[in-house]
Amino acid sequence: MPAPLMAVPPEAAGAAPAAVDLKADFEASGLPEIFDQLDREMVGLAPIKQRLREIAALLLVDRARQRFGLAVGAPTLHMSFTGNPGTGKTTLALKMAAILHRLGYVRRGHLVTVTRDDLVGQYIGHTAPKTKEVLKRAAGGVLFIDEAYYLYRPENERDYGQESIEILLQVMENQRDDLVVILAGYADRMERFFQANPGFRSRVAHHIDFPDYGGEELLEIGERQLETMNYRFSPKAKAVFARYITLRRGQPHFANGRSIRNALDRARLRQASRLFQRADGPLSVDDLTVIEAEDILASRVFADMPTGDAPARDTPAGKEAP
Amino acid sequence: MRLTQGTFSFLPDLTDEQITAQVQYCIDQGWAVNIEFTDDPHPRNTYWDMWGLPMFDIRDAAGVMTELTACRKVYGDRYIRISGFDASHGWESVRLSFIVNRPANEPGFTLERQESEGRRVLYTTRAYSAQLPEGERYA
Amino acid sequence: MNAIDKRERRDRYAAGVMKYQDMGYWQPDYEPKDTDVIAVFRITPQDGVDPIEAAAAVAGESSTATWTVVWTDRLTACDKYRAKAHRVEPVPGAPDSWFAYIAYDIDLFEPGSIANLTASIIGNVFGFKPLKALRLEDMRLPVAYVKTFDGPPTGIVVERERLDKFGRPLLGATVKPKLGLSGRNYGRVVYEALKGGLDFTKDDENINSQPFMHWRDRFLYCMEAVNRAQAVTGEVKGTYLNVTAATMEDMYERAEFAKSIGSVVVMIDLVIGYTAIQSMSKWARRNDMVLHLHRAGHSTYTRQKSHGVSFRVIAKWMRLAGVDHIHAGTVVGKLEGDPATTKGYYDICREDFLPKRLENGIFFDQSFASLRKTLPVASGGIHAGQMHQLLDLFGDDVVLQFGGGTIGHPMGIQAGATANRVALEAMVLARNEGRDIVHEGPDILAAASRHCTPLRQALDVWKDVTFNYTSTDAPDFVPTASVAG
Repeated sequence: MPAPLMAVPPEAAGAAPAAVDLKADFEASGLPEIFDQLDREMVGLAPIKQRLREIAALLLVDRARQRFGLAVGAPTLHMSFTGNPGTGKTTLALKMAAILHRLGYVRRGHLVTVTRDDLVGQYIGHTAPKTKEVLKRAAGGVLFIDEAYYLYRPENERDYGQESIEILLQVMENQRDDLVVILAGYADRMERFFQANPGFRSRVAHHIDFPDYGGEELLEIGERQLETMNYRFSPKAKAVFARYITLRRGQPHFANGRSIRNALDRARLRQASRLFQRADGPLSVDDLTVIEAEDILASRVFADMPTGDAPARDTPAGKEAP
Repeated sequence: MRLTQGTFSFLPDLTDEQITAQVQYCIDQGWAVNIEFTDDPHPRNTYWDMWGLPMFDIRDAAGVMTELTACRKVYGDRYIRISGFDASHGWESVRLSFIVNRPANEPGFTLERQESEGRRVLYTTRAYSAQLPEGERYA
Repeated sequence: MNAIDKRERRDRYAAGVMKYQDMGYWQPDYEPKDTDVIAVFRITPQDGVDPIEAAAAVAGESSTATWTVVWTDRLTACDKYRAKAHRVEPVPGAPDSWFAYIAYDIDLFEPGSIANLTASIIGNVFGFKPLKALRLEDMRLPVAYVKTFDGPPTGIVVERERLDKFGRPLLGATVKPKLGLSGRNYGRVVYEALKGGLDFTKDDENINSQPFMHWRDRFLYCMEAVNRAQAVTGEVKGTYLNVTAATMEDMYERAEFAKSIGSVVVMIDLVIGYTAIQSMSKWARRNDMVLHLHRAGHSTYTRQKSHGVSFRVIAKWMRLAGVDHIHAGTVVGKLEGDPATTKGYYDICREDFLPKRLENGIFFDQSFASLRKTLPVASGGIHAGQMHQLLDLFGDDVVLQFGGGTIGHPMGIQAGATANRVALEAMVLARNEGRDIVHEGPDILAAASRHCTPLRQALDVWKDVTFNYTSTDAPDFVPTASVAG
């Protein structure tokens, strides 16, 4: 891995170089590697990938301008990632941390993911140390606050969230060299959050909206997930799974990639019990690898049931219908 | 006098940039970083007061430097030291410790002698500053 | 099944002389047990003596055998007690010598006794006629046996906590001239050196109680110097008071006195013997004292490669016996020391588990089973200008002992001490900042000397002093590049 470049190269202090070669900068930064990885590993998300490239280009140019003394101060890099669950926000945040690290905008490039519970305390005097602790852990990297709007509870006047918000705002303004904050959550709620807290909106430079995946994309995600676990669909199972996706998307609590993963975990369970119950001879590698149509058809998604309010036995926190 | 406890006391006082580099070294070794302060510089004063708990899960020195700035704001008239603690088996102890803040004036110590039998002498080292109550020593 | 079970036992024990290998001291199929003590010897047999027979003879003479068969073996579980030579291989590049690996059952040795261990392993056998020369290269001491020893009374970690000194080598100096100073003048050297920035000063190995200075007088003046220096700097200081004497009674008396006047450390010489060392270790443990060992005399048997005992074995024995400091070589100084071999000694003192590394002369995996760590001391002909090499070679956990390099400073002892301390701190600072101290060392020292005149003077005076002689005790194995893939 190439070493991260410095945000302000040493020569900035002395004589400015005659010209810059952005292409060479891009190659030297190790970014092509990250973008290749992104294309290889993540299905779809074309607009998001495009945004990422744009931001990277902006930062590269910014860096080049710094060398000529054209840039003024450190750029604001805080972002908001909005979209439904399972649309790849956390994964993209990891990539973003790597990109910022390669370009020298954060020193370590690690990602610290938190929610309200990590930032806000239970009693008076508890919140500031908790928030500061998180900020210390995130220093040099990217702080990813999932469902950031829960920090703000206007209905409760004595909520400690406000205290955390104030500390965050201060650090986002004064320690831009030390960390980048990404606020994430559902688009509509995030919008209301920004309305109520204009301080955040003014400090966030890049808003990225993550669309839901299409049926085709979800099927491909499913196949890739299986592949990494050394399973595969039988041709029939694949067709059934496509149908499953169509049905499941219409149901509540659909969480894109995450729902696919859960569905596949359950299919693996069913495959295992099928093999266990019916095996009366030695099993081949194929037997152990292939997910059959029946492993998917057994899902309650195919049962003619009213959708919505019946939490299933094997779903976490009742958030998803099986 | 100049108190020479700590790893870098014979060098000119470290700049914040130099302190940051040493803190990052501790973090990179996997050590927890601790900030302590005192107004009793006696060489056997082991337990300086802790500025919060040791910082265990940090990746970058900036977090420590924020705390150091805050500590200096409150106790800038006292000695402050930073230490790196290694919890690995066989060590479980401090691995680096250096002073990052000292009072403007360091009056030093007096050595008291009590003669005893057979030319023996019992020695007591006493900090001039410690003759005042805690908190008023370097005001 | 071992060799002798294949024969008629009656024949094996018939009166007369029999080859050692036929008596069961050579067992090529033997798999050493986890609880066995294993020794590797370098053997140089007399001309015409078969190396396997020589190895079997060493095994026999260092365990149960004598020159002839004795029927009284049959009153014992002699198969168990017999040492087993199980591997003999040629020494690379030395056609007349072989490495012989010999395993000893743990029951052959008294728990917790170096004297007993050594009486077997380096007892009669070293004078054995069929061998031209014999050298004990290394030993694997099983955890079960290691655990019968107390080990260092203080250890590196606790010593640092007591001294409140972390993250850098400790600095010392041996008071010079070695002999002749009066107590009052001697204490002056101690005071100047400690005040200037050293952590420790040290009596030399042969300073005991001579006509020019009696021990009690030295101790009292030294403690005045230590306490004065402590008050002037606000730092914990110490001086190794040498309590080596003619009898244990004398040593105890001197050690007790050192304790009663407030010293944190006492010192002994290797020549007092293993039993006396273990006794002093017990005393130090009882009295919360750091125990410093000067390895006076070791070169008589460690230096020559063909005959004697390797220092790495002495270092292992001393960590078991329980000393807190041991002199272990400097590489760059005036005394014998090959870098790779010396690294092996340092690792023995400081690691909890030491993997086999032939290029450092370490023949076996060795666990020290959480025995405390001994702090190695680098002493003899070193100076501030070598600081980058010393720090790179030895790391933080070492005492760097600059005798001449402190006291010989043109502007005096205090200036010499300051030069060493500034050079050290500047080098540690630079290393921690990620700089390449081996190559940038001289620049780092030069930069540090800009704010420290004593360091600049030291660098000027000693800039060209080196001791580049070929070592007599280099490892027999050199790492070879292995083919990738």
